Amino acid sequence: MNYKFNWSVLWTGESGQWLLSGLITTLELSVAAWLLAVALGIISGALRTVRVWPLRAAATFYVEFFRNVPLLVWMFFWYFAVPPLLPQGIQDFLFAHGLEFWAAVCALGVYSGARFSEVLRSGIQSIPKTQLEASVASGLTTFQAYRYVILPVALRIIIPPGTNESLNLLKNSSVALTISVAELTFQTRQIETYTAKAIEALTAGTLIYLVLCVSIATLMSWVERRTAIPGLIVGGRQRR
Amino acid sequence: MRRLMGFVMALALLVAGMSPALAQQKSTLDKISETGTLTIGTRTGSPPFGYVNSKNEWVGFSIDLVEELIKPALEKKLGKPIKVEKKESTPPTRIPLLSSSAVDLIAETMTDTRARRESVDFSLTFFVTGAQFLVKKGSPIKGIKNIDGKRIAAQQGSTNARIIREKAPKAVLREFPDQPAAFQALVQGQADAYTNDGIQLAGLKAKSPNPAQWDIVGDFFSYEPYGMAMRKGESDFRAVVNAGLMEGIESGKFFEIYEKWFGPSGELPYPMSPQVRSFMLLQVVPK
Repeated sequence: MNYKFNWSVLWTGESGQWLLSGLITTLELSVAAWLLAVALGIISGALRTVRVWPLRAAATFYVEFFRNVPLLVWMFFWYFAVPPLLPQGIQDFLFAHGLEFWAAVCALGVYSGARFSEVLRSGIQSIPKTQLEASVASGLTTFQAYRYVILPVALRIIIPPGTNESLNLLKNSSVALTISVAELTFQTRQIETYTAKAIEALTAGTLIYLVLCVSIATLMSWVERRTAIPGLIVGGRQRR
Repeated sequence: MRRLMGFVMALALLVAGMSPALAQQKSTLDKISETGTLTIGTRTGSPPFGYVNSKNEWVGFSIDLVEELIKPALEKKLGKPIKVEKKESTPPTRIPLLSSSAVDLIAETMTDTRARRESVDFSLTFFVTGAQFLVKKGSPIKGIKNIDGKRIAAQQGSTNARIIREKAPKAVLREFPDQPAAFQALVQGQADAYTNDGIQLAGLKAKSPNPAQWDIVGDFFSYEPYGMAMRKGESDFRAVVNAGLMEGIESGKFFEIYEKWFGPSGELPYPMSPQVRSFMLLQVVPK
């Protein structure tokens, strides 16, 4: 191949600093979006299983509307289509205070929340109906039954698919570069701009994403083991 | 953990194993001769260099230079007819497209820079421009001197963003992957100005729904000579590309194509200054 590799572009000049700031932005964006996504996911996932149909319908609408439109469209929606709906004063304030970051948080959080919601619903529906009935019979209200019995169990059951969605969220955060958020993928392209060494820059970005995702997966599998309910799950993780 | 290490090792071996195969690549001229095709990377949204026009045809100044000057030179050299195939390239993808042999020649709006010359080779310069700003009429921004604290949209991967960062570190840069998104940000006020090469701003302004609403301001704050990029170390191929351009400049064909796109009745009127004309002529070496 005529391409000459020059890995030193990754640690000479400002490259290291850019990768670091990109990594920090990616983490900030992902954590903020994750919190939003989990909150929305828990609320709408729980509402999709209740008996009151208007609540169920509202949650179903949220899930189907937001998960069935591409994330890229949501990015443009929150960045380009929402601000003009707001009063001029708020618009100017947002434009001057990092609108793109918060637009990306909303886009990613609301979109991933719809996906989390389905994961949680499947968790709740895997719990025998008798659990809810027993909780209500013992004097809890429906809300209390969800809060103290159903959700704590469901959230433990869904750790593996939940981890999946969290990793997806982290990787999807790279779409934010389309609305000028300077996250990790953006910074790897920046290195390419300055050094014309695209393959090296992309490799660095790939490795950082890989390390991040593997660390999260490892952490989550530890959480999964710690919070497992003995006897609830058939063939749980074997101890080594 | 051990299994993970094994996986990483396997991946490393796979990559290492691929390299020798890539090393034995044939030269670009042989590739073009064998396939009968010259594959170029060009733009779809940079009028008038490479864009899709209202009749849905993929045309432009850079594309014409390839079709009318470089293609005949290649056919003469190889002694057989070839066809030109177009693929889309953008600032972040153009060098990888070349290195991976997906395209043989980048013919769009790529500025020849010294850093890029370490990765690719460039042809003669075929267009000269410099960076300016596009602003709403009546904007206080008059040039690079007074953009401190202002939100400046730029195209990611372009040389302009880099120069803003160096010359006006207090400006707030907002970089977008393509021109339409950056322009949209300017239209809605997310950005106060959009910077790009003057000629591209002129193209954007002319194509916008209401051209009178926009102003192109400031002196050129950078020098942007456009060249066509090729894989490094392909001097035979580069000689043919340059010969094609030189013959075109010498015979006047180059200036005819320029007139077609930038002349008074062209897509984007932009008369060639006498300095640029003599610069073009001076690039031509004797037969």
